[in-house]
Amino acid sequence: MSALAELDQLPWLYPYREDPQHTRLGQPVFRPFVQVSLANGDTSTTMLDGLVDTGADAILASGLLADQLGIDLSEHEGEVHHAVGGRTMNTRYKTVTMRLHPGSGEVHEHREWSTQVGFVENWHSYSLVLLGSVGFLDRFTVTASRFAQAVAVEDQDAFDRRFGIVPPA
Amino acid sequence: MEPIRTDFKGYEGKFVALDARTGKIVLADEDPRVVLEKAKGRNHVVVRGRVPYPDEPLYVGLG
Repeated sequence: MSALAELDQLPWLYPYREDPQHTRLGQPVFRPFVQVSLANGDTSTTMLDGLVDTGADAILASGLLADQLGIDLSEHEGEVHHAVGGRTMNTRYKTVTMRLHPGSGEVHEHREWSTQVGFVENWHSYSLVLLGSVGFLDRFTVTASRFAQAVAVEDQDAFDRRFGIVPPA
Repeated sequence: MEPIRTDFKGYEGKFVALDARTGKIVLADEDPRVVLEKAKGRNHVVVRGRVPYPDEPLYVGLG
């Protein structure tokens, strides 16, 4: 983790944010977004709203971001075809630096770590990053509460300290 | 906490960047590369993605 992390201790809190999709019978939709950026060497993306997604196995990002980072995806570390929403999407994985920023969007304040990200071709939709299990949810304890309308990101071992180590069922 | 609201009206079909503190749209363009470049390095500015038209099909998963 970055030395910058010492400047502002976790937890970091993120209010839910309105999404332009109106999937809930005409009512506003609020989603658990947190602010992230990606870096490759000295090159980084702008800050992005990353959607916390417990159903995603990994971090997935638009292929556009690989272009921004100067990453040649022909030199990928693995390739997967995902069938999602009736479509097939080609995902190529590459190890990059992920950065988590505080909810206020301070661009120079972040925690960072190295992880594989799956870059998805032709994915340009309402969020350019999905934050899934491996690479994000295994790095922090993340609590999303629709009741509180906020996401809390805590240290990795916060869950174990709160509940103990959960034995196998 | 109160959720952060955003008025997306008038931005349908465009990629947008928001002020992370207020939710106000500060950049919009039909080309996502333009928004990503203009937002780069700007404090409090985060890129969200594309605002759909009301009659677009809504995909589940990677929209």
